[in-house]
Amino acid sequence: MSAPTSSFRDGRGFDRILVWITLGFLIVFSAFPLVYNVIMSFQNVDLFTLASFDRPFVGLDNYDEVLTRNATQIIVRNTAVFVVLSVAAQLSIGFALALFFQQRFPGATWLRGLFLAGWIMPGLVVGGVWSFILAGDFGVLNWLLQTLGVTDDKIFWLSDPSKSLYSVIIANVWVGVPFNMILLSVGLAAIPDDIYEAAELDGAGRVWRFLTITLPLMRAQLGAVISLGIIFTLQQFDLFAALTQGGPSNGSNVMQYWSWELSFQDYRIGQGSAVSVLMILVVIGVAAIYVRSTRHEHAA
Amino acid sequence: MTIRTLLAGTAAIAASPAFAQEQVELDLWTIDDPGEYHYVMAEEYMAANPEVTINLRTVQFPDMVNDLARAIATGDSPDITYIDNPEVALFASRGLLMDLSPYIEASDIVNAEDIFPGPLASVSYDGGIYGIPRGANTIALYYNADMFEAAGLDPDAPPQTWDELYEAAKVLTKPEDNVYGLAFSANGNEEGTFQFLPWVQMTGGDYDNIATPGAERALTLWKAFIDERLASPDTLIRGQWDSTGTFNAGNAAMSISGPWEIPRMSEEAQFDWRVALLPVPDTEAERASALGEGDNVILANTDEPEAAFAFLEFLYDNMDRVWNEFGYLPASEVEVVDPKFPEAYAVFEESMQYARNRGPSPDWPQISKAVQTAIQSALTGQATPADALAEAQETISDVVN
Amino acid sequence: MLRDERLSQYALLTVALALVATYLFPVYWMYVTALKSGNEIVAWPPTFWPADPDFAAAEVWERLQMATYMKNSVIIAVGVTLIVVTLGTGCGYALARVRSRWMDVVLFAILMMQVLPSSLMITPIFVAFSQIGLLDYPRTAVILAQAAKVLPFYVVLTRATFIQVPKELEEAALVDGNSRIGAFLSINVPLARNGILVAALLIFLQSLGEYVYSRSLIQARAFQPATVGLQSFMGPNTSDWQGVMTYAAIYVTPIILFFVLLQRQIVSGLTSGALK
Repeated sequence: MSAPTSSFRDGRGFDRILVWITLGFLIVFSAFPLVYNVIMSFQNVDLFTLASFDRPFVGLDNYDEVLTRNATQIIVRNTAVFVVLSVAAQLSIGFALALFFQQRFPGATWLRGLFLAGWIMPGLVVGGVWSFILAGDFGVLNWLLQTLGVTDDKIFWLSDPSKSLYSVIIANVWVGVPFNMILLSVGLAAIPDDIYEAAELDGAGRVWRFLTITLPLMRAQLGAVISLGIIFTLQQFDLFAALTQGGPSNGSNVMQYWSWELSFQDYRIGQGSAVSVLMILVVIGVAAIYVRSTRHEHAA
Repeated sequence: MTIRTLLAGTAAIAASPAFAQEQVELDLWTIDDPGEYHYVMAEEYMAANPEVTINLRTVQFPDMVNDLARAIATGDSPDITYIDNPEVALFASRGLLMDLSPYIEASDIVNAEDIFPGPLASVSYDGGIYGIPRGANTIALYYNADMFEAAGLDPDAPPQTWDELYEAAKVLTKPEDNVYGLAFSANGNEEGTFQFLPWVQMTGGDYDNIATPGAERALTLWKAFIDERLASPDTLIRGQWDSTGTFNAGNAAMSISGPWEIPRMSEEAQFDWRVALLPVPDTEAERASALGEGDNVILANTDEPEAAFAFLEFLYDNMDRVWNEFGYLPASEVEVVDPKFPEAYAVFEESMQYARNRGPSPDWPQISKAVQTAIQSALTGQATPADALAEAQETISDVVN
Repeated sequence: MLRDERLSQYALLTVALALVATYLFPVYWMYVTALKSGNEIVAWPPTFWPADPDFAAAEVWERLQMATYMKNSVIIAVGVTLIVVTLGTGCGYALARVRSRWMDVVLFAILMMQVLPSSLMITPIFVAFSQIGLLDYPRTAVILAQAAKVLPFYVVLTRATFIQVPKELEEAALVDGNSRIGAFLSINVPLARNGILVAALLIFLQSLGEYVYSRSLIQARAFQPATVGLQSFMGPNTSDWQGVMTYAAIYVTPIILFFVLLQRQIVSGLTSGALK
């Protein structure tokens, strides 16, 4: 048997091949568009020169333009708030639900599956439904709050610039909960029962068991869910388009929507690409932290 | 099949006998779905002209410019396409559209003088004519005559001026019944510009001259509607269609929108609804209104210019059908026999005379964005109307020059 | 004692039902909106059951020829899932097993590949696909683009699952004379099957809802998926919300039913972890 084949069957080559298959596919289909975006961010791109690389390079002009706009500060801040609050809420609600449905009672699995409904609704529909629920004049959320006596006046969730971002966050949390919950359920199910039983015999309370057993053993799952959650949240686009269009007056605008607006509505494609590159920088940070965190997984 | 369609077909064949025998394929991009304007017309045309095959592709309205630009960049563009009228200048300025003037001059069917000034301006750029409007629309003031009566207003005398509109909105607003005086759209997209620009144009300003006292007065009035809750705060994030939905349901006494509302309104509005011309700043002021709908254009790199133009002639020749069959206004001087909703039609037809183009500018989206930003920052109280408009003017001047 | 357990089980069930009901309220609202008239959608106070329900499902199904759209959606989702599971499972495993600086770099690179939303990736993808002639096979084009979009997601998820599979089992199999590939297929994959299944399921459902790539890469109506067909309710000046919701109800209901009916087979593995 020749060396490469044996390496494939028994040695390190097997892992390498597995990795390269995926990596190769991604380099062909994903790396190119990414690099293309990066290149465009340094160029003066016209709607009609999209297909050719022969475009004037303008150095950092696009970045300069984008970073000196009045709206930049508020949009960056909105993006941070959107990501942090969305991920925190999705994760805590998702984890709480996963733990709850981990208990044994009739119909637990069955009911848990229903949460996937949030994952399968088309973006346009989720946006439409939430825009009816959150509407100021006739929205059912205002009706509920008034009926419960929480507020006397109708709240204009979508058109009040101080609230519109939070209404998109509410809808986005709804979208993200099933993803978090289902994946964390998988992680919880993989923890052997006997570990808990042993701890219980040792007299460990619920909270203590959660902190000392569940959390450490869920480390890999949590890391994956959080980092993917951040990336997903940074990609949330449909809800902005359907609910507020980033408005009013950029009150709920975030970088991913802004980048699209610049490229596809204002046709300032170079600037739109510059914004997308700034987003890539953020994700580089997130990815680096995630990769670092995986170093400790094997210890667990 | 009418006699005229047959004639049109014959005229097309007569115009260029060269392709009378050969099969011709035309690619047509449209925002319509099957059963709507372009699909119906293409079918009729193919039936009358068996040598022509028209391949239709539906593109969503908001995607049209990007898809078209992408297709042009990769060499996959159609022969004929629909373009929203403020976008014609963008494509014409790059030489991507065919100048139809020589064809129109030679045509027995299309006569540029018959096209209303607004629609004609929307297809004109730098001395050429780059498209033929497929129809037009504009906006007017819908009002609930029953509510007028209940509030002691004369339903036969709808508001004529801005002041009257404001007073009427005030009287008609009934928070206890969930009724706003007025519904309109200050949405942060093209719809906001579409609704606001006529107000500026009535005071003598325009897209390139927007920091005027007249425009400031208009924006201040809009702000009063919102601040005094004469219109819903959600006006800032709601389009014309969803705003007028609240009018139909009896939650607004007046609504500013276009003729596309009529089919739904006639079904859902359980009251005596009527239409009036858009109020003007003062009785003396010149009228203006928005111009909507789009144009049929031919791409400059088409292989079949004659055949494509013949189809455009056919479309133009059927202008008298667009109101009754497809719900928009004729863009040229034609007689609409027995129009549906005759009273509303009469108002919109008159309003059409005052409809003004947005632009033309190859950079229209950036201009429009500046206008939207001004509207939204003034209405949310982040800037005074004067400051907001001054900032818009600065951006627009940069873009125009 | 037993009685207490019974009671607490029903208490849990009640809470669970309340949670599900709260969460599913927007889905309910979609169904109700589909049944309401335009006026009732904006009525105050909102009505929880339409005064005059009017479900135009048959009409919408027929007029839009939804059967074709649904078929295309399924073709695309199945295609994406197959590619992703075939290519990604091994990668997730390798990344879980091997610790080295190189593997860190690979994991990092894979995460980076999905940073941009589809709406920003579509222009270069369209240009590239058009140059190499892939646009002539529009559904395949969408499948490839979408597979690239969700592959990183799948790899990261399966990697987390493979980490939870104890190394000792695989090592034992190798000692018994299994090849690497044999151990992978007979030990690791079966033990990680829950995670693989769930990740594949999420990918399948997400691809069912793919819109941005399909909209741009598929020009012919006959090849478009349901999400693109949904757009025909949104005109330049009009948006037929009852139509959108009716269409969505038609689209979502069979998927939900599928889950409810096949729940046991699909997700039951969740509660009975493979290692117990």
